[in-house]
Amino acid sequence: MSAQKIHVDSYERNWMIISFVLLVVFALAVSVAAFGLGIQVPAPEQRVDPRTVATDPNSPWSNPGLREVSAGVYDAYILARAVPNWEYLPKEITIPVGSKVTFYVTSPDVQHGFKIQDTNANFMVLPGQVSKLTITFSKAGTYNFICTEFCGSGHGVMYGAVIVK
Amino acid sequence: MNQYQVPTAEKKLIGSHILVAILALALGSFFGPLQAFEHAGWDFYVYLKPLFKSYYQGLTVHGVLNALVWTTFFIMGFLTFNVVFGLKRPLKNMLLAKVGFWMMVVGVVAAAIPILANEATVLFTFYPPLKANWAFYVGLTLVVVGSWVEGWGMFMTYTAWRKENKDERTPFIAFASLVTALLWQICTLGVAVEILTMLLPWSLGLIDGVDPLLARTYFWFTGHPLVYFWLLPAYISWYAMLPKQAGGGKMFSDSLARLSFWMFLVLSTPIGFHHQYVDPGIPPIWKFLHSMLTFGVFFPSMMTAFTVVASLEYGARKNGGKGALAWIGKLNWNDPSVASQLLAGILFFFGGIGGLTNASYNVNLVLHNTAFIPGHFHLTVATAVTLSFIGISYWLVPYLTGRKLWQPKWATIQAWVWFVGMIIFSNSMHVLGLLGAPRRVPLNLAPYVPEEWNSRLFQVGLGGAILFISGTIYLVVMYMTVTNKQRVEKEVEVPIAESMQDPAATPAWLDRWAPWVYGSIALIVVMYGPMLFELIKNISLTSPGFRVW
Amino acid sequence: MANKKGNDEEFHPTGTVVVLVIFVITLIAIWATIYMILVGRGGTL
Repeated sequence: MSAQKIHVDSYERNWMIISFVLLVVFALAVSVAAFGLGIQVPAPEQRVDPRTVATDPNSPWSNPGLREVSAGVYDAYILARAVPNWEYLPKEITIPVGSKVTFYVTSPDVQHGFKIQDTNANFMVLPGQVSKLTITFSKAGTYNFICTEFCGSGHGVMYGAVIVK
Repeated sequence: MNQYQVPTAEKKLIGSHILVAILALALGSFFGPLQAFEHAGWDFYVYLKPLFKSYYQGLTVHGVLNALVWTTFFIMGFLTFNVVFGLKRPLKNMLLAKVGFWMMVVGVVAAAIPILANEATVLFTFYPPLKANWAFYVGLTLVVVGSWVEGWGMFMTYTAWRKENKDERTPFIAFASLVTALLWQICTLGVAVEILTMLLPWSLGLIDGVDPLLARTYFWFTGHPLVYFWLLPAYISWYAMLPKQAGGGKMFSDSLARLSFWMFLVLSTPIGFHHQYVDPGIPPIWKFLHSMLTFGVFFPSMMTAFTVVASLEYGARKNGGKGALAWIGKLNWNDPSVASQLLAGILFFFGGIGGLTNASYNVNLVLHNTAFIPGHFHLTVATAVTLSFIGISYWLVPYLTGRKLWQPKWATIQAWVWFVGMIIFSNSMHVLGLLGAPRRVPLNLAPYVPEEWNSRLFQVGLGGAILFISGTIYLVVMYMTVTNKQRVEKEVEVPIAESMQDPAATPAWLDRWAPWVYGSIALIVVMYGPMLFELIKNISLTSPGFRVW
Repeated sequence: MANKKGNDEEFHPTGTVVVLVIFVITLIAIWATIYMILVGRGGTL
């Protein structure tokens, strides 16, 4: 009794085509950045027990800090914690210009964030999970890393720094 | 004028929703500017002690009352109105609606007590292992379940109407409201499961720990469609009411409007991972797939933009509007309801841009949890939605109470002041975010703030102050309206824009529920099923609770 | 191509096109600016 096809005004049809093309272009652009340029979001790394991750001697986060893997390549084990005093351990790491650092960050208490200013390192830190991203520091300077998720009253003072010399 | 008379009982019920909503907005919005002032270095919390302990308690009040309570109550009231007025029939079961409403009210009170006692300073995202008092979780559950009960009442009313009107197209405002209510039923399953299987037993001491990643996944199952639950009622008004109010416009395309609502139902839930792009423990491929579907759900919003603007233009041209853009001046800007919604719509263009940017997979690395995010959602939920709801209240409250809108000129001023304040506030928040400023931090006190942020931080406070003025004007106008001695001569006309096409020309498949509902569930199963199965299989309830506020 | 019979008169939403073209240009400009920030900061693998 009625039409099965939608009546679409020609102007609106063109608009829908433009919208579709635009979204496809954006999708391609993020794909190029992700799969071509290696700008990726965090992947599953490992599960840990938040109750023991900071104290178990077998856990790298019982002795957080920088480990040199090979010349200019580092692993940084960082503990983000609200208890007792909203801080990152270690608070500072110092590396030479051109270093490639893989950050492994976890929390023994509540959720935190980890964002290194002026870099693409910006991710959530969850108790029970390890967040991992790799950043190459090609310019000298002090790069603050700051907490970006509400973690209690000291959230706003929780920060540290990567010092690139 | 000969419009359907909504029965008094229904009017009272709808009015009660709007009343609770506005009370929540009033208290919640009082705290909004206090957050903004902290950024600028003006600390008012020192004067609020011992009543309010901290910035974060205030931020929790602001987020819960404005983002959750104001919206949910206004929406349930407005949807109920649309169903009753659209279908021209009373609610099938008034008792059910009342039960739902009172469950929601009790829920708000139950959640408010621990918040006000500083026992639930967990912000409106309540991410565990931050552990609130159990009453907070019970309260949230009651609000959600109450809204389900009200939704069931709407569906029963529709079923009864359908029996009485077998071959008719569902009137648009009722159709779109039912889709919105259904979307809410589906998507709130996430947060219901989160609270009932983890947070509530944990806060009661029945289990020792929670799985924070699984909790986030449940939360964002609800959290993104929540955005559409807020937005769709505003869209209903923009599609079907605003064109009429703004100058006799007609709905440019009834079919495409309906199609876009179905697309929102199908697409707005299985995209929640776009809030978890930078979470550990979720494979990038799932995040990428969700990002592609997020681009998909942007599409019906683009359709909405066209249909709404074209519907407005049609009316403006009929009233002598000329030129490429000059016709916009012919819209009925003197009507506060129109001005509010047009200004809300203008800022929503920018809200859409920010939203698409956030949703663009790895682009989120630049923006995640920066001040850009609250900058963005103050354009969407706090302007596109809130200023539109304010605009709707400018005709709906006089309609429900029979009292004249007090000083329409002040109501119009209110909308413009909001617009200006929000531009200043939101623009500076976006810029701060791009400079690297985090969200949820009283930035004036943060030790890492560089000099270059200061001028923007001042603008955040300035914007907040202007918004505070606008909010105050709104409350005065509403108070003076509901106590106005001047009554409307005859019932306020409900603005309904008719469709340019004969409604019967809308294809029947756009009025059939089953395929869309099954499609929606199937897509959720495909997009969420494998990952949820994986997370639940590996569940580790190892995180004890913390009270670190 | 278009079936204009459905409309009750000849109405071409030319103003709408202008509004939306402005919108799309703004969208592309802002999106591309932030995308370039991302690309400029380099890989994460």
